[in-house]
Formats: sequence, structure tokens, C-alpha cells
Amino acid sequence: MTSTEGSATRVTRRRLGAVGAALVFVALAVWVLASAGRDDATARSPLLGQPAPAVVTTTTDSASFDLARRKGSWVVLNFFNSTCVPCIAEHPALVSFVGREALRADGAEFYSVINDDSDTAVEDFFARRGGDWPRLRDDDGAIAVAFGVAKVPETWVIDPNGFVRLRILGAVNEGDLESRLDVLRGEQ
Amino acid sequence: MNRGNAGRRRTLSSWPAWTLVIVAAFLLVVVGGSRDRGPLSQQERIEQIGRRIACPTCAGESISVSRATAALSIRSEIARQVIDGQRSDDEIVGYIVSRFGGEVLLVPRASGVDALVWALPVAVAVLLVAGLAFAFVRWRRQPGAPGAAPRVPRWVTVSVVGAVVVVASASGWWVARESGQRLPGQTLSGGIADSTATLLSQARALGAGDVTAAIELYGRVLEIDPDNVEAITYRAWLVSLSARNFERALRMQAYQAAVAAFGRAIELDPTYADAICFLGIIVYRDGDDAPSALEFLDRCLASAPPAEVRTLVTSLRDEVAAAVGE
Repeated sequence: MTSTEGSATRVTRRRLGAVGAALVFVALAVWVLASAGRDDATARSPLLGQPAPAVVTTTTDSASFDLARRKGSWVVLNFFNSTCVPCIAEHPALVSFVGREALRADGAEFYSVINDDSDTAVEDFFARRGGDWPRLRDDDGAIAVAFGVAKVPETWVIDPNGFVRLRILGAVNEGDLESRLDVLRGEQ
Repeated sequence: MNRGNAGRRRTLSSWPAWTLVIVAAFLLVVVGGSRDRGPLSQQERIEQIGRRIACPTCAGESISVSRATAALSIRSEIARQVIDGQRSDDEIVGYIVSRFGGEVLLVPRASGVDALVWALPVAVAVLLVAGLAFAFVRWRRQPGAPGAAPRVPRWVTVSVVGAVVVVASASGWWVARESGQRLPGQTLSGGIADSTATLLSQARALGAGDVTAAIELYGRVLEIDPDNVEAITYRAWLVSLSARNFERALRMQAYQAAVAAFGRAIELDPTYADAICFLGIIVYRDGDDAPSALEFLDRCLASAPPAEVRTLVTSLRDEVAAAVGE
């Protein structure tokens, strides 16, 4: 090999190295951007597709509640707090959702899970804003932790077989929950 | 010349000793750093676990210092599980991760993409050191340089480079393994796959589509938890449904077994609507006892059964009421 051929080979190798490094950099950048773009309102959760966590508690009427005993119905759990602004904002949509579901034979059962709030404040909230569904106590936050709820409002849907099917972060919009539930009912 | 040879001999004779000292010191550091420090108090355990978990609503704060609602709830859950004494620290952290996701781990995991945080710096450091050493050797071998050595064959270079890459990867893997979080089995749920909850949900999903498999799954639940009310009830229900195709004697045998099973389920949990509803249905269909069936069906509807069962019972109740003459 002549010295000219040797230097040409070295140059080619360096170019290949530079191209390889650039490709690795671009792949990493694409991966980071793709990961950042995955945070949407319907959040991922390790619980999706898994059996729902055990929820055994009492309602504000002191009736007992066991989520495992509600198998056979679609169950919607809405984690809320009477002072949280998005919870107040979504409440009218929830009231109309529950009203429409009550008319269906396979209508979903709806429960509010109280997050860091008192029974009195919650009852006052419902007296002023309407809604007549059970409110579940979660005094030590065990239910919120079991579902991985960090901020309210958050809404979870559990299918009649007891599997977690949907998680909605933030306030629910009018008609949104119903349309998502209809999709899930169609898949069932 | 003689002094130089003596110095080289001293260096050569002492290097095994130095190597031994370095290896021994390294092993002591590793063993000392990783040995079990014995039992901690419950409060210490709670604090220690809390320092491994980030507050999910804060920026860069562990739950052990945060006052956010979510952090306080997680701390309560950790305290509950520590006091319960059923789970190890790793299992408790695994439980929290199974609910909130890997993002709440303050110490990156030893597996998956997280492991790169540990492995990459070490691997790069090893490669850089090897690269420097290679560069020095090449400089020494420049033609005309003092002490220039003959050209090294290509296979030797390739072997050395391969060995360096292997050492770099192995070092990265070892550091990741020793320093990263290792949760039990690295499952998302900390063992949820084997739980009765999973078996019950799977059995329900099979339902009437594959009765034999569903009955088997309920049987497995009862092996683990003989008093599981849902498994007792639904196993008996599916058995009685499949027995309807059998001859009368077998059907009656299945009916009596189902009545006993529903009775036991109601005894274990008098509020379990499904057992009361199914009892009403089979007492009418297989036992031909309309008055008793009507009583059970009314109790069933008063117990707020789930939608699927309510649909079955609502239509049947009118038929039973007509049979009774109501």
C-alpha cells in the first residue's frame, strides 16, 4: 500500500467514525424527544391491564365498600378534593355522566375517593354542587397510593372482571369519560 | 548498571505484594460497604426506605422530607407495611414503584435503560484509560523514538481492543449491579402476577367462554385461600351451570353442592350479593322452589348486586313472582 492509499484509508475511517457518532447522537436525541412526548392526559400506569388493587373502606354514610365485590359492573373511581379547582370544574360533567349511566342496564358505578379532605367539607361540596353517588373515605391515603395517585383529580375505570382499564389525569371533560367508556365496553 | 538491575529486581519482587495489598483493600471496601448492618428500628427503616423514593409531585425531593399530600400518603403506606412486617425494604419500594412507576426511584435501577446511568461512565472511563495507554505505546513505537519496539501483529491489537471492550462492559455491568436499585424479581407489581386477585380476574375473564378452565382457576384460588367468597360462589355457579346438561341424578348432586357452597359463602360474608342472587336463581331453576327463590331474589336486589348479576335477576324475579302468584 502506497502512502497516498494509506492516508486515503485513514480519512475514510475517520469519516465513517464521525458518521457513526452522529448517528448514535441522533438516535439518542430521537429517543429522548419521543419519551418526553408521551405524557398525555390518559396516563400510562403499571396498573393498566392488571387486577385492580384491593379497596376496602367505608363511605361517608358509614356503609362498607369492597371493590372486589363490585365485579360484574364497570366501576369508575374519581379521586378528588373539595378545594381543588379542576375537581370543581369537572363536577358538572361528572353529575351528567352519572345521570346518563344510571339509565343503562350495564351502567357504570361511580364513586368519589376523598383525597386529603374532611367528611364535612365533602358533604358540603356535594350539597352545594349536586351529585348523589357514594363518597369513599381514604383517611391515610392508602387507596391513593395503591392506585399511584399523586395529584387530584384523577379518574380510573375498572372493568367487570376487575382489571384496571383506564386512567385519566386531570379534569374530565363533558362526554369524554362516557365516550372512552363506550370504547372499552365495545372491546369487552 | 548493577544498581539499575537491583532496583528493577526489587520492583519485580515487590509487585505481587503490592497487588495483594490493593486487592485485599478493594475486597474489604466491597464487603464492608455491602454487608448487612443488622436489624434497624422500624422508624429507621421507614426513613431509609423514604430516602429511596422521590415525592411524585415535587422537584427533586424525597418523600422523607416532603410535606406534599402524595408524599405523606406514601410515607403512611411505607410505615404500614414496615409495621406489618410482611415485606422487605426492596419489596416495599417495589410496591411503590408498581403503583407510581420507576420515576419515583431516587436511585436509578440496575436494569433496563436506568442501568446505563451506572454502566456508561465506568465503561467510558475504562475505554479512555485503555485509549491513553494505547496512545503512549504507539508514541514509544514511533520510528526513531528511543526504545522503539518492532511492529505488533494485527491479531494482537485486535485481541487487546476486544479485551478492553469486554473489561469496560463487565465493569459497567458490575457497577450497575452493585449500585443500582434491585427490586424483587424486577416485576412491576412486586408479585401481583401470582396473587389470588389475578387468578380471580383471569377466571372471570374466561367466564362462560371456557367453563372448565375458569373452574380450575377458582379451584387454584381455593387452594391458596379456602375461604375466598368469590371463588366459592363462582366455582359453584359455573359447576351448576355446566351440570344442567347432565342427567337428573347428577344435576341434583350438583344442585345440592351448589346450595351448600352458596350457603357457606353467605355465612362467610352475609353482604355478598352475588351468592344470594345465584342461590335464588338455582333454587328456582333446579330446586323448583319458587317461594324460597323469590325471597332470595328480593334479598339479592336489596343488596345492590353488580350490573351483570342484576340484569340476570331482574327479569327472573317477575317470572318467579308470577309462579308464586304474586
